[in-house]
Amino acid sequence: MNYFQLFGIEASFDIDLQNISSSYQALQKAVHPDKFAHASEQEQRIAVQKSAHINDAYQTLKQPLLRAEYILVQRGVDMPNEQNTFGDTSFLMRQMELREMLEDVRSAGDVDAALLEVQRILSSEYLQLTQLMRAQISENNSASNGAACDNLRKLKFYQKLNVEVDRLEDALFDDE
Amino acid sequence: MAYSEKVLDHYENPRNVGSMDKNDPSVATGMVGAPACGDVMKLQLKISADGIIEDAKFKTYGCGSAIASSSLVTEWVKGKSIEEAGKIKNTDIAEELALPPVKIHCSILAEDAIKAAIEDYKSKQGK
Repeated sequence: MNYFQLFGIEASFDIDLQNISSSYQALQKAVHPDKFAHASEQEQRIAVQKSAHINDAYQTLKQPLLRAEYILVQRGVDMPNEQNTFGDTSFLMRQMELREMLEDVRSAGDVDAALLEVQRILSSEYLQLTQLMRAQISENNSASNGAACDNLRKLKFYQKLNVEVDRLEDALFDDE
Repeated sequence: MAYSEKVLDHYENPRNVGSMDKNDPSVATGMVGAPACGDVMKLQLKISADGIIEDAKFKTYGCGSAIASSSLVTEWVKGKSIEEAGKIKNTDIAEELALPPVKIHCSILAEDAIKAAIEDYKSKQGK
């Protein structure tokens, strides 16, 4: 049973997060150890395995990039190894610019405004790429799946940038 | 995780950091990235008319090993022909810097950056 089937929903990038959150609670309740207190050792072990499976499914489905990757892998799309080098020059140039922008925040006259501006740009570019990937995933043909996979790889760079932004925000906040 | 002394040396005193004019016909630019860790590496080579690398600059956003790998590469390629530079293997870089297995991809990135730069040079020459 795949993760979508487990949660009783259609395999799609667009999911109702509230719906899967309540399904998650219900599914976990059914395999809760308390219910198996008097069961055989084997039944207890199966319940623990099911609980872990439900948890993996939930963690994957609720995060957009993991969900996209899961859908593409389920479709049999050949996902390049994460550590394979990515060589889209103009995209990488932009990534470099964004990192330079982030680097300059600390020395900006108005640090708060500079940080906000970087966050605004990042979230708008992230959203744009996500929408593009979403459309490609729903198109579901071999060309669009390949393109979605490419955009998923690009989105990972933004995910990393967002971690850096959070780190910078924490550092700036600690200084105060 | 402990970095080797050589990695720390390159990380603390990176060689040849900087940029060249990417529109200069004698400048080759290689841009590579690794989605897994979000590292972005730019390697630029200034190449003479007879195909010798006269100067090299890099700019890398990434971990210490990625910075050290690109810094080392700029030192190695200077004075080499593009053919010789194209033969530099990630294993040479990893060995020189004593990179642990989890950081091997940083040396692969540096090797790919050289290849990307050479490719860029060839396409510029072909025009």
